[in-house]
Amino acid sequence: MNLDPETFKQFKIVGKVLTDHRYNTSHSGNISMRAGGKILIKRRGAMLGFLEPEDIIETDLYTQDSGIMLSSTETNVHRQIYLNTDAMAVIHAHNPFCVILSLIEDEITCLDAEGIYMYRKIPVIEVDNPAGPTDAAREVPPMLKNYPIVVVRAHGVFAKGNTLYDALQNVTGAEQSAMLRYYTMLTGKPLKRDFSKEKFFSEW
Amino acid sequence: MNNKILNIDLDSKKVSETPIEEEIFSDFLGGRGLGIKLLSDYLAKAKTDPLSKLNPLIFSVGPLTGTIAPTSGRFSLVTKSPLTNTIFHSNSGGFWGPYFKRCGYDCLFIKGALSSDNKGYIVIDGYDKVEINDAENLWGLKTSETLKKIQQMEGKNCQVLCIGPAGENLVKFSAIMNQAHRAFGRGGVGAVMGSKNIKAIVVKNGTLKFPVKNKEYMKKLAIVARDKIKVVPITSQGLALFGTAALVKVINSFGMFPVKNYQFAYTEPEKIDLVSGERLRERFLEQSEGCYNCIIRCGRMTNTGELSGKGPEYESLWALGPLTGIFDLKTITHANYLCNDYGLDTMSTGATIACAMELQQKGLIKQDSLTFGNKDILCELIEQISLRKGIGEELAEGSLRFSRKYNAQDYAMQVKGMEIPAYDPRGAFGHALNYAVSSRGACHLTGFLVALEVLGAPKKIDRFSVRGKSDLLFLKQNQSAVEDSLVICKFVGYALGFEFTARFLSTLLDRKISITDLITIGERIYTLERLFNVREGFSRKDDILPKRFLETPLQDGPSKGRVVPLDDLIDEYYKVRNWDENGIPTDSLLEKLSLKRLI
Repeated sequence: MNLDPETFKQFKIVGKVLTDHRYNTSHSGNISMRAGGKILIKRRGAMLGFLEPEDIIETDLYTQDSGIMLSSTETNVHRQIYLNTDAMAVIHAHNPFCVILSLIEDEITCLDAEGIYMYRKIPVIEVDNPAGPTDAAREVPPMLKNYPIVVVRAHGVFAKGNTLYDALQNVTGAEQSAMLRYYTMLTGKPLKRDFSKEKFFSEW
Repeated sequence: MNNKILNIDLDSKKVSETPIEEEIFSDFLGGRGLGIKLLSDYLAKAKTDPLSKLNPLIFSVGPLTGTIAPTSGRFSLVTKSPLTNTIFHSNSGGFWGPYFKRCGYDCLFIKGALSSDNKGYIVIDGYDKVEINDAENLWGLKTSETLKKIQQMEGKNCQVLCIGPAGENLVKFSAIMNQAHRAFGRGGVGAVMGSKNIKAIVVKNGTLKFPVKNKEYMKKLAIVARDKIKVVPITSQGLALFGTAALVKVINSFGMFPVKNYQFAYTEPEKIDLVSGERLRERFLEQSEGCYNCIIRCGRMTNTGELSGKGPEYESLWALGPLTGIFDLKTITHANYLCNDYGLDTMSTGATIACAMELQQKGLIKQDSLTFGNKDILCELIEQISLRKGIGEELAEGSLRFSRKYNAQDYAMQVKGMEIPAYDPRGAFGHALNYAVSSRGACHLTGFLVALEVLGAPKKIDRFSVRGKSDLLFLKQNQSAVEDSLVICKFVGYALGFEFTARFLSTLLDRKISITDLITIGERIYTLERLFNVREGFSRKDDILPKRFLETPLQDGPSKGRVVPLDDLIDEYYKVRNWDENGIPTDSLLEKLSLKRLI
């Protein structure tokens, strides 16, 4: 596989940010991008924070191939996202605050200005087998048709973007909004002003 | 377990039962472990001719065989190999093992031999009903014909192990075929059966059930295990969609896919695609097939438009294809069918032919058509080997004996006489070490470090590092001995850790067995195999790779420039194993494992 240094650099930076932000364990999470009818995706079991060129695996965009022997467990979720949405890059991470809120809410309504501007609300979906790729491959793509990021209850987020950096912004932005919402809820006090009601987020 | 050995003495034609002591199960589990223990006890003298009637054939199931634990359809065979003269174990899937266990036995111990004018086949018809029937009308038949005829005589609902013409003709790498398309491969076990003048072993009408104390918990474990198998891409997608041939492009991408008798190990993407698992699926796959209680279903039922059958698997596809310079998938698939039908081990067949082709290339033999890439001669050679005709007479002895005849031993890619599998050792040093030290000769199954070094399962390690590889190999080999003794398929190892194995066994036997206990049992089995080989005269001098891998670097591809630093690897390995510098297990190790030296 030919992997140019510039492309690899994107993987390396994004992987490191996700690890440094503690969105994943040492080995969890996966990131990918579309590339000429192929998917470039992290190797299964490789450490996102310390990616080497050989940790990027190439697999076919349209059909399953033997690249699955090496590529991420969630490869097929990524593939279905690419085949069913406008995604050019996909990140899967285990953002702690998004996961926490997914355990108690059906959607994450953004309270902060940045979140309101970027996402308004972040959908939460539930699947029978949250740790496996099969259910997620079916349920996640329809959500990403209309949202940049979705939370799978008790599991983590799948975010899309035009580039890996773009998808990264969605992952970090959603987590920021989830964190602010979580701490706000923790105070137990009513909001002085609830923008979500004014702007009809529930209908978004 | 049934705690019973079914003994068949072919000399006297007497059938008897022997109980199995509880201690043997505790120390060796079943399957491979049980077979190794029984063979070591039975073959009292060193240097027994493997093709004499003194060498027994020992088929064993394990505690998990036939249970609801996933992939529990496997069973094991132990004997002394005519190819390597080492102790030998092989295992096979399908349904024969569970059928046999339901007849009320854990082990079938066949000793002696029928006379050459009295060929027979064995029928185990439920519990306590064993017959040796006349096989004159079966002798000479191919395995598919044999299966068909036996099913006509014994009924459709029977499971059949049989040999083909290769086993009858004592080809040193003949196999015992299971339902005519699975194999007890490697090492020439088919010849051992042939030497006993036994054509087939049939099981049917087994109805016994094995008690499980905590059935509910066993069921829960099985559900969780199946869920995990369904999640892991290797088991749920890679093997399921493309069979073991999913490895073709993967191994090639690491520069480890041997071509033309290991002269090369990397092929351009366009060319390798011709023989990939993807192309096999696209062109010939009719349906996938699984063994007893398996949801992976890596088996390939194929149809080329001209012929149909099973396979080829990764190793078969490679050995009959690129190793001989042939990249025509239809020819390879037909050659694979033919090997199954004649009862030949596909890997040694391809590797021995490739060795001969290199001798021709180097001008060491004169056989004009025997050139790399000549697809027209492949099927003809398979037939000649099976029938020991023409050059087949020499090739039937395996690559080592064949090449020695021409004073060209360096071109035989083998260890202890057994041909090396489809991973160039120069590309993965831990795997290379396993080839060198494996107790049955070059073997990929007894310590598959490619899982870590290439596939990154469970985590990737540097394939060219040396330090620590011995420790990992020690662990893998011991795990492998346990898997072969339980008996379960190695592929579940990609999805389930040994914590599952220990829990399944603990639940089944209703006593606590830890992972550590299992690893110690694996170590005991492995060490006993070594003791057997030591008695046969094997030592460090035999734990060696062909010169090519030690001295000739690969010229291109991702493993370019590499040779195997074998001495460093072996020094460390012997220390980890607690063997002395000559590869002999030490007294303290034997004391720890409660083993005695074989004299």
